[in-house]
Amino acid sequence: MDKQEVIDKINQVFEESFEIKKEELLPQANIFEDLGLDSLDVVDLVVALQQKFGIKIRADQRVRDIRTLEDVYKFVLILKSEEKKPLK
Amino acid sequence: MKTLKLIYFNIVFYTLFLSFSAISIPVLSLFVAFLSLFLSHRNTMKRIRITIGWWALGIIKIILLPVARIQYKNRSEINILGPYIFVCNHRSFSDGFLLALPCMPHECIQIVNTWPFKIPVIGLIAKLAGYLSINEMPFDEFSRRACELLRQGVSIAAFPEGTRSADKKIGQFHSSIFRVALQVQCPIIPICISGNENIPPRRSLLLHQGIIKMHKLPCLEWEQYKDLGAFKLKNKVRDIIAKELAAMEDVA
Repeated sequence: MDKQEVIDKINQVFEESFEIKKEELLPQANIFEDLGLDSLDVVDLVVALQQKFGIKIRADQRVRDIRTLEDVYKFVLILKSEEKKPLK
Repeated sequence: MKTLKLIYFNIVFYTLFLSFSAISIPVLSLFVAFLSLFLSHRNTMKRIRITIGWWALGIIKIILLPVARIQYKNRSEINILGPYIFVCNHRSFSDGFLLALPCMPHECIQIVNTWPFKIPVIGLIAKLAGYLSINEMPFDEFSRRACELLRQGVSIAAFPEGTRSADKKIGQFHSSIFRVALQVQCPIIPICISGNENIPPRRSLLLHQGIIKMHKLPCLEWEQYKDLGAFKLKNKVRDIIAKELAAMEDVA
């Protein structure tokens, strides 16, 4: 899955789960101030991302540091790349 | 001249407010304490909450009169039983008092920040009445307590913006109270307050004279929102309030 596919899928999550319009989904958009999510909505977002990408997301510091949509893209891309790494 | 007038009205207001509270709070407290000898805990709590409502009504209908005129419009046809979740925009400290108008005669508590609990006497009474300080507990605990209150028939009033808005723009809503509404299937009543931005302004206790407009909007029944998630529901209610506020201020 390339970067653009990941971005499209994440945008789909925001459109489907939160009914946020496509034109509002800008990488620099703050998910709290601009898109209107709160900490509880972030939990719903995590669940939706887990379902969409079939990955396990732990509620660690990296989730707490997410502020913008770009941060979400980066976070999922990191998780996907970690997934590919062979277990030692 | 304007400043002198402002100072005069504030002296009048705060003198009346303190005198009214100094007399009414002990009298009402003694009255409820006396009643509690004959009532169950549940009924005593009900009396405490309704008494707080009457006290707040006294403040806004009598004591606030030299400072502000309130234009109240009730567009909600609801039965007296309840419970309901009242959801209101938040611009001023006075909102907490003003809510007595649309919430009475319902037995009602408010969701508050931490600081109102620190106000002498009033904070203690609010705590005693079971007001919920959302920042002092995790969501699960808040949800458990709020659901329990609603199931007992106690209405809840909330300011989902979480804090007073710095300008007339309505802030983003927190979803906590809407998650509770979905869980308990409780009707939601949107309330709009406009014109009290300076009664008093943020970070000030100085009241400026003005006209406060308050609209109680039609009730949003559970059947009307049951298919929405918390995020969509909070934004639906936010849109309803924002549109009404725009109309209220356009007319003004």
